[in-house]
Amino acid sequence: MNNKMKVFLFILLSVVLVTGCSNPSNSDNASENGEKAQEITYASTSDVVGLSPIDTNDSVSNNMIKQIYETLFTRNPETMEIEPLLAESYENPDKNTWVIKLKEGITFHDGTDFNAKAVKYTFDQFVDPDRAAPRASLLEPIKSVEVKDKYTVVIHTKYPYGALLAALSHQNAAIVSPQADKEGDLNKNPVGTGPFVFEEWVQGDHVTLKGNPDYWQGQPKLETVTLKVVPEYSTAVSMLETGEVDFIDGLPSEQLSRIQSIENAEIQKQAGTPVYYLGFNMEKEPFNDLAFRQAIAHALNTDVYVEQLNGLGIQNDSIVGPKVFGYKEEAKDAGYDYDPEKAEQMLKDNGYADQEITLLAANTGSYLKMAEIVQAQLSEIGLNVNIEQMEWGTFLDTTREGNFEITFMGWTNSTGDGSELLYPNLHSDNIGGSNRLRYNNEEFDQLVDESRTNVNEDERLESIHKANMIAIEDAVMIPMNHGVVSAAYLDDVKGLKIDATGQWKLYSVSRE
Amino acid sequence: MLGLIVRRFFQLLILLIGISLIVFMSMHLAPGDPAAIIGGPTASESDMEAIREDLGLNKPVLVQYFDYMKGVVQGDLGYSYQTNQAVTAAIITRFPNTFNLAIASMIVAVVIGVIAGIISAIKQNSWFDLSSTTIALAGISIPNFWLGSMLILVFSVTLGWLPVGGLNAPFYTLEGMKQLILPAITLGTASAAMIARMSRSTMLEVVRSDYIRTARAKGVKEKSVIWLHALRNAMIPVITVIGVNFGSLLGGTIITEQVFAINGIGRLMIDGIASRDFPVVQGTVLLVAALFVIVNLIVDIVYAMVDPRISYE
Repeated sequence: MNNKMKVFLFILLSVVLVTGCSNPSNSDNASENGEKAQEITYASTSDVVGLSPIDTNDSVSNNMIKQIYETLFTRNPETMEIEPLLAESYENPDKNTWVIKLKEGITFHDGTDFNAKAVKYTFDQFVDPDRAAPRASLLEPIKSVEVKDKYTVVIHTKYPYGALLAALSHQNAAIVSPQADKEGDLNKNPVGTGPFVFEEWVQGDHVTLKGNPDYWQGQPKLETVTLKVVPEYSTAVSMLETGEVDFIDGLPSEQLSRIQSIENAEIQKQAGTPVYYLGFNMEKEPFNDLAFRQAIAHALNTDVYVEQLNGLGIQNDSIVGPKVFGYKEEAKDAGYDYDPEKAEQMLKDNGYADQEITLLAANTGSYLKMAEIVQAQLSEIGLNVNIEQMEWGTFLDTTREGNFEITFMGWTNSTGDGSELLYPNLHSDNIGGSNRLRYNNEEFDQLVDESRTNVNEDERLESIHKANMIAIEDAVMIPMNHGVVSAAYLDDVKGLKIDATGQWKLYSVSRE
Repeated sequence: MLGLIVRRFFQLLILLIGISLIVFMSMHLAPGDPAAIIGGPTASESDMEAIREDLGLNKPVLVQYFDYMKGVVQGDLGYSYQTNQAVTAAIITRFPNTFNLAIASMIVAVVIGVIAGIISAIKQNSWFDLSSTTIALAGISIPNFWLGSMLILVFSVTLGWLPVGGLNAPFYTLEGMKQLILPAITLGTASAAMIARMSRSTMLEVVRSDYIRTARAKGVKEKSVIWLHALRNAMIPVITVIGVNFGSLLGGTIITEQVFAINGIGRLMIDGIASRDFPVVQGTVLLVAALFVIVNLIVDIVYAMVDPRISYE
């Protein structure tokens, strides 16, 4: 018996020793000649849904799609101005016509030529009802696309559409290889013009891309890009610590101090386009009463919530955030000041003292935290506040059907254009759909329509600003915080720049 | 024996039909619209209508069920709403990970559990017995996500011995084994504790029985008494515990797969539920149910092998 135990212990010890003596995987970054391997591994909490810009509409897929495909226009991450990418130039002979000249000499990864036909093919597929593109509404204003010559397309819109360039800069409007799409499934075999070429996707595990040696702007420095699916964020942080991954983004505030303590990791943070807000159901009493909403707005001290975010959020009364087109400084403090006494008085005056209300919060992201802080603040002015938690899928259904009183939501503003925030979320056209708050204000609608159907940028800015001010005054949504986009990466990762929408391009990234 | 297998096979069929109906209906009746999730919050009503039409979600639920079952009978579990990948293919990619993990954690559980249980029984009330029953109690009580995170912190982050997560190297390579160690310990601990408690109590019962006393009286060596005569009979209830545990491990272990970033059946199922990916949920639940029945059948066969008194003829 004793001997057997000894043998067992011996085997156990040797296993531990063998595994302990060999080095863990984080040292294989250096190649034989001492130079760093040009590889980067990014940890994502969920897998890509697919790799076709036409057939997906989620931020994780977009992270990879952005490396493989390119759009006609792009928003400069520094200036937030729209610049041509695959396009060379454009002009508007009239308000409904966009003549876009394309860059010449660009090829798709499959060797086929990038030209006006490819653009027409992509956009036609995008709006084809049979294709059922999840983001088809993005290009809904397009009436037709015409091939003028090999490198010129003419886009005809149904009505003057001011945000067209912003829509064309959106990742989902990236141009795909028509041949690859006809012959296969772009979701599994993506073919674009971008700096990285698709290599492999093991669903649920990883996506691998390789540098494109023939990229039209020059070969990228990185040779390999891997997206690794790590569902648990704290595991991803551990992996960053051990070097199993090189890069994580969307840092949650509760993990921030741990990430800051990692010696060889750098953190990048900047004001971004997302906005997170409290919203009222405008079709239910007493939430449809302006006085009640104003009282709640006076009772809320959003600074308290923003402080909890450890620098990963910004307080601003404006619904259209400071990084979004249509924002003017004037909107910053246009909301209702924190004044609980006034709030309590308003409730009494209007017969809402002791009103029982329910906050609906999805059990994802920071929504529960928002609900708890709001619950505490509203209880102070005498309201009787309950919180109802819901799983995300159920939440989407419930809010679309209007079965809530007050809820919390967010909007990433991925086109960076304020009309793309105000139209889906607050325009009466979208009641029953994306206008979950069921806001219906004719004057507001008209201003948003103007901002959408005007191609003059200055006038558009003015219309969005005015609409924004109306919505703030109406207290239909109260911004809890504006997003701070963030990423953490090992300090030998150079040239990584996240843009205001939280997305990034790896083209100019290298390991040093 | 053959009769038992045939009988079980028919039971399995009826069970699977019942389960498919329940899962199908509960997924369709539960709130949450797959089209809303595919479209994302930015999708308009017309976008979602197009998606619903595309997925066939506009048809009556019963029609959808029979369409689905027609496919299942032909071995086609349908296509994921989210990725449009065949569900069978999705299961085939992930099942080996779950299977390897289940085997590895059962090895941890059985080796530790049986040995600790028997030693505790033989040396009842000794310090070993006391500490092993205490540890066993802790093992059952510690939640997996906490144990997993702690193991990662100690063995991966601090000591740097083992990788934090992932399971992509083949299990027979050193890298693959290293990837398996922490998740197997995390998962195996609770089962080990259960097995230890079970083997201790059955062993205590068996060593007090008449035939053991007879063996001892005949002068058989203590070692043979324990390992040859007692163990075999003490193992019957233990095998049941092992079988049930193994069956549920094969069904995927959501938390452990989540913490260790393992691409297994559990995660496939939970992602499917979250995104209302009905075909994926259906397919994985059917697989898990089938595996459970098969594992139990194997347990019954093993009973007969271990204990000649049990016969199915």
